[in-house]
Amino acid sequence: MEPIERLLQEKLIREAQVKTRRHFIKDCATGLGGLALGSIFLGCDPLQPSSKPKQASFSERDLNPLATLPPPYAPKVKSVIYLHMAGSPSQLEMFDYKPVLHKLNNQDCPESLLQGKKFAFIKGTPKLLGPQAEFSQEGESGNWVSNYLPHFKKVIDEVAFLKAVHTDQFNHGPAQLFMHTGSPRLGRPSIGAWATYGLGSENQNLPGFVVLTSGGKTPDAGKSVWGSGFLPSVYQGVQCRSEGDPVLYIEDPKGISRDLKKSTIDAINKINKEEYTKYADPEILARINQYEMAYRMQIAVPKVMSIENEPENIKEMYGVESGKESFANNCLLARKLVEDGVRFVQLFDWGWDSHGTDHSTAVDLGLRNKCREIDRPIAALILDLKQRGLLDETLIVWGGEFGRTPMQENRGNKEMGFKGRDHHGDAFTMWMAGGGIKKGACYGKTDDIGFLGVEGRVSVHDVHATILHLLGFDHEEFTFEFQGRNFRLTDVEGVIIKDILA
Amino acid sequence: MNKKIISGIGVALGIFSLIFLWNWLKPEDKVNFSAEIKPILNKHCISCHGGVKKNAGFSLLFEEEAFANTESGKPAIIPGNAAGSEFIKRLKEEDPELRMPYEKPKLSDEEIDLLTKWVNQGAQWGEHWAYSLPEQVEVPKLTAKAGFSIENSSAIQNDIDPFILQRLEKEGLEPSPPASDNILARRVALDITGLPPDSTLFQKYTSGKLSYEHLVDSLLVQSSFGEKWASWWLDMARYADTKGYEKDLGRSMWQYRDWVIKALNNDMPYDQFTIEQLAGDLLPNPSIDQLIATAFHRNTMNNDEGGTDDEEFRVAAVIDRVNTTFDVWQSTTMGCVQCHGHPYDPFKQKDYYHLMAFFNNTRDEDTPNEAPALRFYAPEQQESITKINDWVSKYGDSSTVRAYRDFLRFQEPVYKSHSLQDFVNGSYDDHASSVLWSNGSCRLENVWTHGADYFYFNHYTYRPGTTFTVRKDHANGEILTKVLLEKTEEPVTKRIPIKKVDGKFNIHIEISNPNIAKDKNAMHIYWLGFLPNLPGSEQPGFSKIQREFDKAINFKAPILPVTSENPDHMKRTTQVFERGNWLLPTDTVQPSTPAALNAWDDSWSKDRLGFSKWLVDKKNPLTGRTLVNRVWYQLFGRGLVSTVEDIGSQSDFPSHPALLDWLTLRFMNEHQWSLKSLIKEIVSSGTYRQQSELTPETYQRDPENELYARGPRQRLSAEQIRDQALAVSGLLSDKMYGPGVMPPQPEGVWQTVYSGERWVESKAEDRYRRAVYTFLKRTSPYPSFVTFDAGSREVCTIRRTVTNTPLQALVTLNDPVYLEASFQLARMMQSAKDLEEQLALGYEKATMTRITPEKLAALQELYRASLTEFSNNKDELEQFLHFDASPTAALGALTVVANAIMNLDEFLSKA
Repeated sequence: MEPIERLLQEKLIREAQVKTRRHFIKDCATGLGGLALGSIFLGCDPLQPSSKPKQASFSERDLNPLATLPPPYAPKVKSVIYLHMAGSPSQLEMFDYKPVLHKLNNQDCPESLLQGKKFAFIKGTPKLLGPQAEFSQEGESGNWVSNYLPHFKKVIDEVAFLKAVHTDQFNHGPAQLFMHTGSPRLGRPSIGAWATYGLGSENQNLPGFVVLTSGGKTPDAGKSVWGSGFLPSVYQGVQCRSEGDPVLYIEDPKGISRDLKKSTIDAINKINKEEYTKYADPEILARINQYEMAYRMQIAVPKVMSIENEPENIKEMYGVESGKESFANNCLLARKLVEDGVRFVQLFDWGWDSHGTDHSTAVDLGLRNKCREIDRPIAALILDLKQRGLLDETLIVWGGEFGRTPMQENRGNKEMGFKGRDHHGDAFTMWMAGGGIKKGACYGKTDDIGFLGVEGRVSVHDVHATILHLLGFDHEEFTFEFQGRNFRLTDVEGVIIKDILA
Repeated sequence: MNKKIISGIGVALGIFSLIFLWNWLKPEDKVNFSAEIKPILNKHCISCHGGVKKNAGFSLLFEEEAFANTESGKPAIIPGNAAGSEFIKRLKEEDPELRMPYEKPKLSDEEIDLLTKWVNQGAQWGEHWAYSLPEQVEVPKLTAKAGFSIENSSAIQNDIDPFILQRLEKEGLEPSPPASDNILARRVALDITGLPPDSTLFQKYTSGKLSYEHLVDSLLVQSSFGEKWASWWLDMARYADTKGYEKDLGRSMWQYRDWVIKALNNDMPYDQFTIEQLAGDLLPNPSIDQLIATAFHRNTMNNDEGGTDDEEFRVAAVIDRVNTTFDVWQSTTMGCVQCHGHPYDPFKQKDYYHLMAFFNNTRDEDTPNEAPALRFYAPEQQESITKINDWVSKYGDSSTVRAYRDFLRFQEPVYKSHSLQDFVNGSYDDHASSVLWSNGSCRLENVWTHGADYFYFNHYTYRPGTTFTVRKDHANGEILTKVLLEKTEEPVTKRIPIKKVDGKFNIHIEISNPNIAKDKNAMHIYWLGFLPNLPGSEQPGFSKIQREFDKAINFKAPILPVTSENPDHMKRTTQVFERGNWLLPTDTVQPSTPAALNAWDDSWSKDRLGFSKWLVDKKNPLTGRTLVNRVWYQLFGRGLVSTVEDIGSQSDFPSHPALLDWLTLRFMNEHQWSLKSLIKEIVSSGTYRQQSELTPETYQRDPENELYARGPRQRLSAEQIRDQALAVSGLLSDKMYGPGVMPPQPEGVWQTVYSGERWVESKAEDRYRRAVYTFLKRTSPYPSFVTFDAGSREVCTIRRTVTNTPLQALVTLNDPVYLEASFQLARMMQSAKDLEEQLALGYEKATMTRITPEKLAALQELYRASLTEFSNNKDELEQFLHFDASPTAALGALTVVANAIMNLDEFLSKA
């Protein structure tokens, strides 16, 4: 590393640490209102030199597992908004323009492409299906986008495309797990859990990792895609719901006023403090802290989860519909959440599995509607973050769990009534925007029909390595020991995709 | 030269050489490889010179590798010659390009000295303690030393204590005084039964009418013992009520859960407990219970998602079984070895596949029907089954008897539809069936018919007039059968005559139905089953039995997925997967166990049964230690080896190695694998009975309580927290067993793709069952349990991480389950005469402790605030106690107080 770079790196780390320290001191001061815990707070300050004798008996993490920690390297962003289109959108109708495929429309797929390949539903020899949308080059970057996404065109220069992402999974459940946990099998922590474990939360009144779903269903792989795996459960994603309590049990029971809840928590903590004088177990102090936090969360969560008080022009910009569960609402909520210091916001939108079994899953019909549902909200999210100066410290990631075939699906080896595409893991598009991302970049290229990546292929592990890098981690060093083995999000793989970094 | 001088020099030389000789020959402390050297190698060297990477051709994982020639052509370690050993030279290098560890800080002088000494002493490779047999050790004799009073001390209650006290003495610490009777009674009851002690037992013990030993005995015989310890085992067994993956549909596994509870309550010896779960089906004449036990390895997930490859997920399940078996019984992470040699432990990649060969021959194939599934017949069905089995026993040979018995039990072995291939006008349709159109055909290879005259065909023909033809070998082959199949309303099993054929051959299946359009589905095929002919065909009553059998195989019955072995003609070969990838099979391997562990006894069969005997052989160094360590962990919140999931070269060194070995041998020999005896022994120790109070000083001295100078204090488990709330409020049902129940959970928690399954709130006492009976959906477990760190049971869980979060506070404060319990506790509190007594009663019922004035004052204050609020605001009161017809402000206020009590740290913890 060049000396100048080294200095710069150090400066950035210092800054991040000072910032953390500030948060930390604030939490110490206000978090445990009224309790004289100073003397026990030996391990409170993560910046205390580690050479001090081991009497630093418990760290702030012991009291509060979401306490902010500085990343080991200079971060580019402090939070992530991950937009997952569950079911997997067709890159061939959105971003990956293939005029040749157009010409080959309705011709038999060459046998050479099918050899040794496995598909979920395609049988025998399928036919190629030309792009069903119209494409144009937009913005200064001149990157391609289809007419399914008219609003997105306006922000296209903020975005860096990955055109040749690949995965080795071609069924939804395992592929979603792979995309979010780095493994197609259950049991590993999700990327949001890793980030929250490594960095804690900037806001002690909100969960550090929030999940919002739309499209009427949760992802195929279920809650495991935001699970904590073998990490402590406190780092798993907290699903904030649009209907019912935004967070389970956040609402006081009917008939219990805020004052009475305050009195209850005061009484509990008073007795717990009494208990601490007897047992001196720091877990008791942690519990006192958690009860205060719970009380504050009960106010903070409903507040951040309500879009009522947003100005009309903002609501209009996103196209939100109050009281409904929608992707637009979730985009606006995502902005509010990162604005309030939430580390990782995960949006899942269901309904992208365009097999062509009916109107809603046809790439020329239903897919167009799905695109309409996300087009304005995504453009609004990018612009809104930008106008607030938040885009530079936030990373937005967009993608599905895999892509779709250039061939038309022929389920059961029969011709189908609607135009659809099967699952395809060999080449698909993702994009990123925000801090540390090279604006307007386009990396990777697929062959003439969009079947295989021919340049700049990147794996799911590479995407993970890049996200962790932007958060200030070296993905090879960021490990957790479980059942005798050091685990990484990227397992034994992953290369940072430098070509899309600013 | 002067003679004197010469002789002086001679003397000096003599003395010098003597000193030299002495220095050279003097007994030097022998370096202990596994305690002193292996940890340094593991920490600093093995990540580049070990199982995964072997940089410069040098590896320190196995003895033969360490002393072999490296890429330089010479060995790096020359025993007896540190100065000539590259291994030592590189540690001292000044050039950072040459110095090891590469790009890492230099080793400390002490570490380099130790390694040097070790090489000079001959570089003897030792066996790691974890892979050597537990040693026979004497219980330490304690001497009363400096202020360490052990005479008549309550600290010594049994032979565990001297081991603990010996270390305390060495560390200069005193044990804590015994916990008070009430605290101890609550602690031991929660540990043994998962519940607070019932009031009679509590009264008797605290009033001195019952000894501690009798208290422990009476707790151990309660059936709640099995329910408590089942949660521990079921975490390891990854028991759940759904299949996992995308659809995560329900499955009927609860019979297995009940088996575990019963086995624990009956104190089934752990060796038998092991054998029945891993290989119950291979025991001679297995009972139904022994088959139920084998559901242990059917708790693997099953993928029903459309388009998934059954073989891929079958292999995934087999891999999970190997990994889980080693996680559960050997504290060893075999998962590593699937792709490469173990990074630290002495296991090679091939070992993994040799082990996999034991598990790779079960009948299950990731089909949605979860075959093989044990069928539980209704009494009248069972009558018919018994009749058939009796008939076969009377007239058939032993293999026919077994074939018929197994087929009636779990309808295997059969050829499933995903084995069909070469479809013309048809395809495999992802739902455990193959579809043929009106003129479709397909092929099944390597079929063995037992040379029978008929076979069993599970199919669904929803149109009349379908002709079904089976030919030998190919489309123009000899016709073996041709029948017209009736229209069916659902999948049915039909007996179809077939020409006798000996040996294995391929069959060609074709169907035709002129009445329907060409590309319309005519039939679903699920499986084809071949059995030897029903014996006794010359006997009177034969055709009646044959009809009875044909009927019986279509009986509808509840099922439980179980394990059953492939018959010889269906055996799979096991191959090493390159880099762990199932699509890249290489060398074929046979079942065998790793060389690093105990030797194989040739009297054992080379199958799961033999394997499980190997596992519980007393010469296995890990099975006993693992179990003892984990039971200790359950009771103390920390293992004697603190890495409870890992006992091996990378694990922590035991805090009390001699105690671990002593207890392990005692568990296997004196206690004869009895779990209850082991638990009793540990909870009877003075160590366990100590009070758990500490001071900032003692905390700082030993924050993790590694030395046991105090008793255990931990937050309760998710299950215990719920069960305790229901118990102290009198709501808890003692109903045992049966399908999972669905106590209230918030609306809309279950949202699953492609599944119409719903959370249907249980009625009456099923709302108040113990947590172990709560329905567990893997992709959406009961939310309040998850908040308190219970897992989703997708894979084997050895240790639950205990967290302390605001979401937990929200559960016990706001979940209606806890409010209902608070309300019931409040009503009990009303029985006391005045407020002070009411509050004290509630507190005592919940915590089993007398209330202190300070705590009472805090509760009084809360009571007054609530009373004022509810008196002034009747609406709030009615909303709060909406389930009570005529709520009073006093009851409302008591409910608030009761809820606060259920949120106290002392309620949520065992002290």
